[in-house]
Amino acid sequence: MTDTQKSRFRIPAQEMERILSLLGRHPNITEEAIFSALWSEHCSYKSSRIHLRRFSSKGPRVLMGPGENAGVVRVTSRLGIAFKMESHNHPSYIEPFQGAATGVGGILRDIFAMGACPIALTNSLVMGSLRQPRQMTLFRRVVAGIGAYGNAIGVPTVGGEIWFDERYAKNILVNAFALGLVPDDAIMSAIPPAKPLLAVYLGNKTGRDGVSGAAMASRSFSDKESDLRPQVQVADPFVGKKVMEATLTIIRRGLAGAIQDMGAAGLTSSSVEMADKAGMGIELDVEKVPLRDPTMEPWEILLSESQERMLLLVEEDKVPSILEIARESQVAAGVIGHIIPEPVFRVRKGETVYGEVPVSHLTREAPLYDRPQSPRTASFPQHPPHPSASGRHAIADIFLRLLDHPNGGSAEWIFRQFDYEVGTRTLLGPGHDVAIVDLRAEDRGVAIALAGSSHPVFRDPARGGALLVAKTVTDLAAVGAWPVGLTDCLNFGNPERPETMHDFVMAVSGIADAARRLDIPVVSGNVSFYNETDGVSIPPTPILATCGVLASPRNAPPGSLGEGGLRLVMAGSNADLSLGGSYLDWILPELEESPVPSVDWAGLVLLQPFLALLIEKGALRATRAIGRGGLLRTLLSMVAHSDETGLHLRLPLLDTPLGTFFSEAPGRIVLAFAPENGPVVADTAREFGVPLLDLGQTAPHRFSLTYRDRDGKEKALALPLSSLKKKYLSALSGPMETLP
Amino acid sequence: MPECFRVGIIRFPGTNCDLDTWEAVALVPELAPTWISHRDRSLDGIDAVILPGGFSYGDYLRTGIIAARSPVMDAIGQFAEKGKPVLGICNGFQILAEAGLLPGTLLPNSGRTFLCREERISVEQTRTPFTLFFSPGARIRLPIAHQEGRFHADPDTLVELEARGQVLCRYNANPNGSLRDIAGVTSPEGTIAGLMPHPERRMRGASTSDGLPFFQSLAAWLTGERDISPLSLAFSSRDDA
Repeated sequence: MTDTQKSRFRIPAQEMERILSLLGRHPNITEEAIFSALWSEHCSYKSSRIHLRRFSSKGPRVLMGPGENAGVVRVTSRLGIAFKMESHNHPSYIEPFQGAATGVGGILRDIFAMGACPIALTNSLVMGSLRQPRQMTLFRRVVAGIGAYGNAIGVPTVGGEIWFDERYAKNILVNAFALGLVPDDAIMSAIPPAKPLLAVYLGNKTGRDGVSGAAMASRSFSDKESDLRPQVQVADPFVGKKVMEATLTIIRRGLAGAIQDMGAAGLTSSSVEMADKAGMGIELDVEKVPLRDPTMEPWEILLSESQERMLLLVEEDKVPSILEIARESQVAAGVIGHIIPEPVFRVRKGETVYGEVPVSHLTREAPLYDRPQSPRTASFPQHPPHPSASGRHAIADIFLRLLDHPNGGSAEWIFRQFDYEVGTRTLLGPGHDVAIVDLRAEDRGVAIALAGSSHPVFRDPARGGALLVAKTVTDLAAVGAWPVGLTDCLNFGNPERPETMHDFVMAVSGIADAARRLDIPVVSGNVSFYNETDGVSIPPTPILATCGVLASPRNAPPGSLGEGGLRLVMAGSNADLSLGGSYLDWILPELEESPVPSVDWAGLVLLQPFLALLIEKGALRATRAIGRGGLLRTLLSMVAHSDETGLHLRLPLLDTPLGTFFSEAPGRIVLAFAPENGPVVADTAREFGVPLLDLGQTAPHRFSLTYRDRDGKEKALALPLSSLKKKYLSALSGPMETLP
Repeated sequence: MPECFRVGIIRFPGTNCDLDTWEAVALVPELAPTWISHRDRSLDGIDAVILPGGFSYGDYLRTGIIAARSPVMDAIGQFAEKGKPVLGICNGFQILAEAGLLPGTLLPNSGRTFLCREERISVEQTRTPFTLFFSPGARIRLPIAHQEGRFHADPDTLVELEARGQVLCRYNANPNGSLRDIAGVTSPEGTIAGLMPHPERRMRGASTSDGLPFFQSLAAWLTGERDISPLSLAFSSRDDA
């Protein structure tokens, strides 16, 4: 023991010293394992915590905020929705199928730990370029893994997003979102009452899989290479379903005092965090933990991240009922410890004490960093504007260029692998930019909108962050849903780099300010740092999910249509049609240097009531917020799934044709309606002060448009409809189906 | 007080379309759903049985194979022998095929991935307890959601299925490589039926309610509204439609 300063669990030297001074002695291996888990970035949020305070989680609808397994927001007089998004980036890169599947399993456990029955999943994926065979495999396996878990456990995957970008090739992002339904008087908490409760283990047996997933064990720790077990966990949705049903039964019968899922750092974090919230201590006997491998050391048991496990704190007289429910569900369960008045975390194996650490050392005394920040220097060279940017062919060429990439196509290849209808609540599934799930209560539905396009954040972290919030709110408004809560997953590089930290703080402030301005509480979230390989970090990538509520959800207009003769109108402000951060800016960065568009906040909040009223009047046939690629791609995605419907646009004089056709400025929604509803749409728009821009009509077999340029010159453009649709539908499925 | 028929919905560990099927059955006034556990050995008082979709036993080993050996399956075998209606949807179909109650087997999709999407389907055999309400050749839309839905049978069996009119329904655009586009089959008597598409997911709504007739048919059949002419004569060839 000559080198006691060096951690066996890769705890940094200065943190080891802090542990020594807190304990007044050297930690033993069990204690060091405990510190390594709870002081890890993943569990302690040590680099992000002080910045996350910017988020406001307050609001009259908020029933549960951060600090719980998931946030809960009221959506009817009796019901709340619990929702959260989490990353599973690192495991998915190592073993894409299991990494993605356990990501879904983990987020579902967070939801049902609250007593909420999961009714919807979505995901946001960012992968490297598909030109690399390795990425193709990663992508294929990630999608299969997500499907394998969600499909089997019977929770529909109602939406999702995909983005391919070479800068993520070595750090793919797999973010999973789940939403559940809970009666407001049956919400479970991870904060136990200050009583002498017993710790009950429920679920899969503990194995060596995922030991130290949150803080990987050092290689020097073992002499034999063969002893290194995989750090990726293995999913078992079959057991997961049984654990879910048992947990929900236990909660419904009022048998548990507090519940937390064993996620990152498994048993250690769930037990310590719950004891800490009660202001108590906890004692565990690892001999009582159901094990797959009886030779596991106490520290391995504490750090195992075996899946499908829950930790319950319960009163002694409730234990027999809980064990009976577990037996009935064919799930392992047992009492493994108890809450103690002394505020310490004590680990025993039978009579032998293996470790004892004050709870506060693991939680409140955990390191907290305000890491240095400095702005990134401009990373893009200045190019002169594209010479033919306003020419007649340029618009068509650019549009085709956008479609000639997996990012520009339909994501159907992905979502057809997900069961998006099981549960029969799905009213709008994938492919509509916003998903709607029926609450089956008070004639209301929940809408879910995702925003994971990182390019605006890369261009301008603060403005980009705000833009993402505005984008989700626009998506919700398109179906008449008003936002009630937001969750985020903040994927960034190495926080020890001042540039990354600066991006992080700016993006957080952009998101937080926008959410505050729109009165949307940020009820849950997750930070994923260290998305870095060989010293290269990913671009800043916050991914948001905003949930909204809408009335009469069965009347919500879809995002696609298939009939000719409908009028097409764009509702919303056209004030700033900058291209910065858009898909066009990403694919042709040399085209035009342009700022990230500013958001017309006052105009944005008018859209929801405006759309809701038109929908109530039954005036709309289809709607879609202008999203990736701008107006033309949005219109194409509306007609792409019909056999022959296209459109003809007749636009007025355009100052900035590029901006009009390709800007992704939020706050703009395409409305399609029967001509006889023209007056009601126009009157309602006038009443709300929402600007309308007449676009044209849907028409069979056409994709054409006319406009006048700045000089008043008439411009016309006609593209072959069937080949456009084919491009759109096969941009992603083509390479996935033709290549091995 | 009208008659109410009890429809047993079988739940295996891992079944996940059980609630959807319950709601679908409950939508038909003459039908009353009731839960049947995989451990039950008796179906006394039950008028019809539905095996819903899902991932029974996690689809481990092979889809449907573990469920097909559950205690309740013996009871279902005896129940079916009495000529009582049995319907398997998706995983339920896989279980019935695995148990030998329906011909053929369901292999992994030819595209090797899970497939969830709406399919156009032609209903061919309309003299079963589940398809009385359709006219032969009716074109409907139902969603599929499966990874192992490729219907397969040896050539002799296929010829026999066609000759006896045991093809319940076919895909218009074969999504999974099923032989002869078969999406569902029946027993020779027509009282046991299985299909991969999910009628319980199209019960109501603005788009389609093409699943509803499956359950309305069952109610009508149980009431005694059925054509008693032999199945094999009821249907000649797929091209008639």
